[in-house]
Formats: sequence, C-alpha cells, structure tokens
Amino acid sequence: MTNERKFGTAEAVYLTTLVIASKAFYTSIRVMIKITGTAAWYMTIVSCLTSIIFFLLISLVMKRFPGKNLVEIFELVTGRFFGKILTLVFSAYFVYYAGSSLREFLEMIKAYNLPYTPPSLIIFAFMAVVVVLAYIGLEGMVRFASVIFYPVLIGIALILFLAYPYYNVRAIFPIGGYGIAETLKSGFFRSSAYDEVIILAFIINSIDGVKKFRKVGVLSLFISGIVFTSNCLCNIMAFDYTMSSENVSDLFQLARVIYFSRFFQRIESIFLFIWILASLITVGLAFYIAISSFCKAFKISNHRPLILQFAFLTFMVTLLPEGLIQLAKTNIVVLREYSMILVYGIPVLILFISVIFGKRGDSKCLKSVK
Amino acid sequence: MFKVSKVIVLLITFVYILTGCTTDSKNIDDQAYAIMVGIDKGVDNKIRLTVQFPTYKGGGNGSSSGGGGGNSDEKEHGLVDGTVVVSIECATVLEGINLLNTSTSRHISLVHCKAMIFSEQLAQEGINFYLSDFARFRETRRIANIGVCRGKAEEYIMENKTLIGDNIFKSIELSFSQSKNSGLFPMMGFTNFYKSTISPYSQAYSIYMGINNFKNLQNSDKEKNPPLKTHENYYPGDVPKKGNLKQEMIGTAIFNGDKLVGTLNAEETRYFLMVVNEFRHGILTIEDKRHPGMAIPFDLRPGRKPDIKVSFDKSTPIIDVNLNIEADIVGIQSGMHYESTDRIKELSDLLKDTIEGGVSKTIKRVQKQMGTDIFGFGYYAASKFITINDLEKYNWLSHFIDAKINVSVRTNIRRTGLVAETVPVRYRNRTAK
Repeated sequence: MTNERKFGTAEAVYLTTLVIASKAFYTSIRVMIKITGTAAWYMTIVSCLTSIIFFLLISLVMKRFPGKNLVEIFELVTGRFFGKILTLVFSAYFVYYAGSSLREFLEMIKAYNLPYTPPSLIIFAFMAVVVVLAYIGLEGMVRFASVIFYPVLIGIALILFLAYPYYNVRAIFPIGGYGIAETLKSGFFRSSAYDEVIILAFIINSIDGVKKFRKVGVLSLFISGIVFTSNCLCNIMAFDYTMSSENVSDLFQLARVIYFSRFFQRIESIFLFIWILASLITVGLAFYIAISSFCKAFKISNHRPLILQFAFLTFMVTLLPEGLIQLAKTNIVVLREYSMILVYGIPVLILFISVIFGKRGDSKCLKSVK
Repeated sequence: MFKVSKVIVLLITFVYILTGCTTDSKNIDDQAYAIMVGIDKGVDNKIRLTVQFPTYKGGGNGSSSGGGGGNSDEKEHGLVDGTVVVSIECATVLEGINLLNTSTSRHISLVHCKAMIFSEQLAQEGINFYLSDFARFRETRRIANIGVCRGKAEEYIMENKTLIGDNIFKSIELSFSQSKNSGLFPMMGFTNFYKSTISPYSQAYSIYMGINNFKNLQNSDKEKNPPLKTHENYYPGDVPKKGNLKQEMIGTAIFNGDKLVGTLNAEETRYFLMVVNEFRHGILTIEDKRHPGMAIPFDLRPGRKPDIKVSFDKSTPIIDVNLNIEADIVGIQSGMHYESTDRIKELSDLLKDTIEGGVSKTIKRVQKQMGTDIFGFGYYAASKFITINDLEKYNWLSHFIDAKINVSVRTNIRRTGLVAETVPVRYRNRTAK
C-alpha cells in the first residue's frame, strides 16, 4: 500500500472522529431516542464507554503484536487460511458499511433536498468522489479530514447552539427513559455506532506505535461521544422524545427551525455543506479500508487496480434495500446495533486465543514499542 | 489519441450529470411562493384550500400592483393587493396545491409560507389530517405560524393586505411579531404546535384571528358619559375600532389533541402568556381605586422566569405558580402623586391583586372548562416520574383537570416613566365676572 504513510496523532483523531460522528447527521439520533426515549443522551455515553473498553482490549492485541496491523495479526494467530477468511469478512463488512452509509445518505438527500433527481445519478456522483479519494489513498483522505474537521464540528455546534430558543430542559424528564435495563442493553449493543474505531487497527502502521494508537482511539471515541450526547440532549429538549422519534433526521429538523429574525433564518445550508463533507469521508474511508484489507490479505502491493471492482460491489450494496424503511429495518440495524459482535468480537477473540496459546509478536519489534 | 478519449469520456460524464441535475433544479423565478395557506371545511370535498401568493408585479416581492382588487375583473381573478388569493376544494392540502398548479404559470411552493390558518369549524373537528401532511412534506416551512380563524380562513386571507410598506411578506412577518409588543396573542410556529399535539406533557394552542368589520365602534353620543372599561375581553373582530387592516390577531385558540376546545380573550391571553413565559411586555390598565373612573396604565414585563412547582398528594397534582412581574407607570389620569414610597406600594398591591386574580381565573377557566394543559405543567410533573412508561401510564393530560393550582404573584413597580413626581393640574377657583 504505497500511500499508507505515517501521519500525526491529531490527523488520525480528525479522520476517525469524522467517520464515527457523521452518523449524527443521519437517522441514528432518531433511533436512539425511539429506543430509549429521554435516556438516549446517557445511553450513548454507555455505548461510548463500552466502546472504549473494547477498544482498550483491542489495543492489548495490538500491543502483543507490535508493528503488525490487524490483518497480519489474524494470520499470525489463526494461521494464513483462517486469517485470510477473517480479513475478507472485515473487507466485506466495510463494503457493506460503505454501501449502506451511501444509501442512507441517498435516502436522506432525496427526502430533504433532491426528491426528483434519479438515485443512480446521486450514487454515481458520490461514488465518483469516493473513488477519487480511494485513488489518492489514505494520506489524501487524512489531509482532507484535517481540512474539514473543524468546519464540520463548528457547523454541528452552531446548529445546536442557534436552536436554543426551542430548548425546554424539562423535556429530559422522566430521566429513566424506557427503563434502566433497556438503556443499559441498548447502550451496550449501540456501541456498534462507535465501532468504526476499528479502522485504526487496520492502519496502525501509519499511526506510529500502540501508545499513539490507543490515544487516537480513546480521543476519537470521546469526541464522538460528546457529539452524540449533545445531539440527543438538544433534540430531546427541542422536540420532546415523541417528535424526536418521528423525524428522519433530527439534526436537519433542528437546522430548519432556527429563527432569530427576518434576516436570520433558514440556515439549513450549513447542514448540507457539513453533512456532505462528513459523508464523503465516512464512505470514502470505509471503501478504502475494504480494498486495503483485501490487498493486505492477498499481499497485493497496489490497491488502485481494485478500486473499480470494489466500487461496483459498493454500488450493488447501495441498491440492495428497496427503500428507506427496509434500509432502516435491516442495514442500519445491522450496522448500528449488531456489528459490534463482529467488529469487536473477532479482535477480542483473537486476543483470548493469543493469550491462551501464548502467541506474541516478534521480540525485536517489541523492543521498539515504548 | 489517449487524451482525446479522456476528454470524450469526461464530456459524456458531465453531460450525464448536468442533465440529471435539471430534475431538481428550480429557478427562483419559476416559483410562486405561497404567503398564507387557509383551510376551511369543504362543501363538495373534504376541505376548501385557500392559497395566497404574490403576483410579482410592481417590485417583484409581492408589492402592490395597482389596487386591492378594486374592479370586478380583478376580483374575479382573486387579485388582492399585489397578490393572488385562490381557493379550491380538494381532499388534501397537497393535492389542492397540485391542482392549483394547473392554472398557475409558476409552481406554487410552500417554502416561504408565513402562516397556516384553519377555520374554527374545521379546528373543532380536528386538524391532524392536515398537520400530518405538512409535517411530512419537504417544502413546509417549519417555522410558519399556526392560527385558528373565527369565521372562514378564506375570508381572512382575502383581507391579508399591507397598508404600511410595499412588501407583504415583511408585513406579515412583522404582524406576527407584534405578539411580543402587545402580549395579547401568542406566537405559535408549526413545529411547536405539531409537537404539542403529540406530547404527553402539554397540549396545543395557537393564535386566534378574525376579521373586524369596523361595526363595533359606536356612533358618538354626547349625552352619555362613557364608563371606564379596563378589561380587554376582546376576541378577534370585537375590538371597537375603525380603519387600518380588517384582520385581527387577538386571543388564543386552545386545543385538546388536534381539536379546538375553547378560546381565550385578549386579557386572558396576556395572563396565560405570563405563565408560559412568553409574555415580553404589554400595557395593562387598572382603575384608580382612589379616583374611580380614572385609569392608571402600566407597562408590564416579566421580572423573572415563572417559578412553577408540581407535587402530588396521592395521585392528585398540586401546582404552585409563582410569578414575578415588573412594571413601569406610564400614566396617572387622576394626577395624584402616587410616586411616594407608600403609595407605590399601594399601587403595587393593586397591580398584584389584579394580575393574581387574572392569572387564577384564566388557569381555572382553562382547567375546568376546557380541561387542557396548555401551560405545560406536565413538563414539571414529569420530573416526579422515573420512566416514560410511568408517566404515560399516569396520563398527566387526563389528571390535569383534577389538579389543585395555587397562584402567587409578586409585583414590583420599578420606574415611573419620564415623570418623577406628578404635579396636579391647577384650576382657577373664581369665575370671571
């Protein structure tokens, strides 16, 4: 992978945070509030903490095999055959992730902005940029994320802040939502919403050591947690738990109700701008990781010849759901509620296997790790 | 050769993308932006939809284009003060707009619609059918005002003109914001209204509006000595006035779910707005107890946010409402020196009694006659429940009618306008020879 050169801690944090937190633009907030009601804002903190715990466990695997990425660790622990299969599972998952995220973007942009534009045109235009991002490679994406990180974050903060006249703090009661058991259960499984942090394990060689890997992961999860929590809280305060669980995109609805005077209203253009940028990074990185892990599994040095083939696969996944309802009931549920079983489960299983069988990385590499 | 093929591929790609984009591209000039939408009960179909949009003649922003439907031809075309007012019978709002597009040269868009007006008759039957259409429709302006019209919405929109300035959009938007200056009608956007219809915490209310035919202004009668009436018990159309616009926004329409169950007059609306912390400022006139027949007007504003507490005695809610209102004296008709410390206290107590009585009566009327928690006391009660299931099982909206409500008002007269001490008018006590 010629373009997987090293980049700084901050840049890695920008990239991972954008990928995780971009879900705030989509249906995630609505679903969280639908499931846990007024408890959604702290349910997502539970998810964030669960993710941090899982991530720290994964970092133990990375520590045992210094200088190795997750694909190489799979092969070292389970052997070449099973290692390849595990890598291909992840590669397929990221294709599915990229396709489903793109479809979610498509459904939302059709609902709110471009109802009559042919879906294929939107997918084509979006995929064209994703392909270019993948062609440029990881380094290009990281630089792009660095440029758009602050505009995206400031844009979200601006929407949340400007909607304050609609906030009623008392709407966060009853504080228990639909019950503590439901909150904890959902909090645990919804940690899937943060599991994109696993991407770091695939590009660990660009991050310069396990210590930085851990720092980047925890920081990204922490910032994403703040984004999700504040979004849930603001939407519950603005729309109550009832209306919040109706809206397709709560953040977009929030942007649409901002009104200060005749001259300061209708600022949803801010939303559109940051939403598209964040979505490009999300789909782009997932798409790239899918190709990248495939290449790593089969020791292919250049990922570029595979871009079009993977673009076709992603395009196919995008077309799988029949509409928004099916997308929300299957694809999004898989991604946001159950994917943690795969994404966190496999690396943690690898950790147990490596501990039980006493498998470790090369001692020479170990010394280089602080 | 390779470069030429690349250029051809790029050109084909751009042609594909650019032609595809035309399906959703909308030229601003290709649309007619609805100013107001009115919904009445239909005769031949479910509803009668009335839409007002500008003609773009004489300024391009809905400005007047030579009169307000003066001649019969203009009346026939529904021309009103630089706008077109068109009515249609249809099954749903969006279908109606779709049908209207068949006789309009531009696509009628709701993206800048300032208000949605429902007739009183329709509102009594329930308006959720139409609200849910608006809630789902992409074009609906989520901050459009919601109003209930005394009489027909169609007639109200026919009177929707601008007398000050040319821009009708600006005129309407400013007229809604008069709520903050008068405190005699609420502002209610679509989002908050819709939220209240599905909320377990509180129920919906909206602006109450109507047409004033200028028939309430009595002819002058020199023989009669007019009494002092300080109570503003006006509903839309009742204000004794002549001139200016015929349309009036005054009072509050109260809903149970999506059904209109009652209305508040101007004065009750002011007290209601004080409780929900939507009262910004307004003039309240009180009769001078020392000089009956003389008035003392006060400019009121909230001193603090209302302090509301909800507790439970077994399952009966007990609600304590504490208001803090500040006032400036803006007139003393009697000319009495009320500005001394003890007399200010006297005035303050008078003001307190008036407001306390008004707020208590308003809350009681809403609670006992309409049984609707438009005050949002349910938000305060919600903190006493642990889970949403508990709250929904208790059903606050049904228990509100049994609540014991205590009202306490603290008033503070801060300033006396530009006069620090009233000097009485002097009369000569000798008649001229």
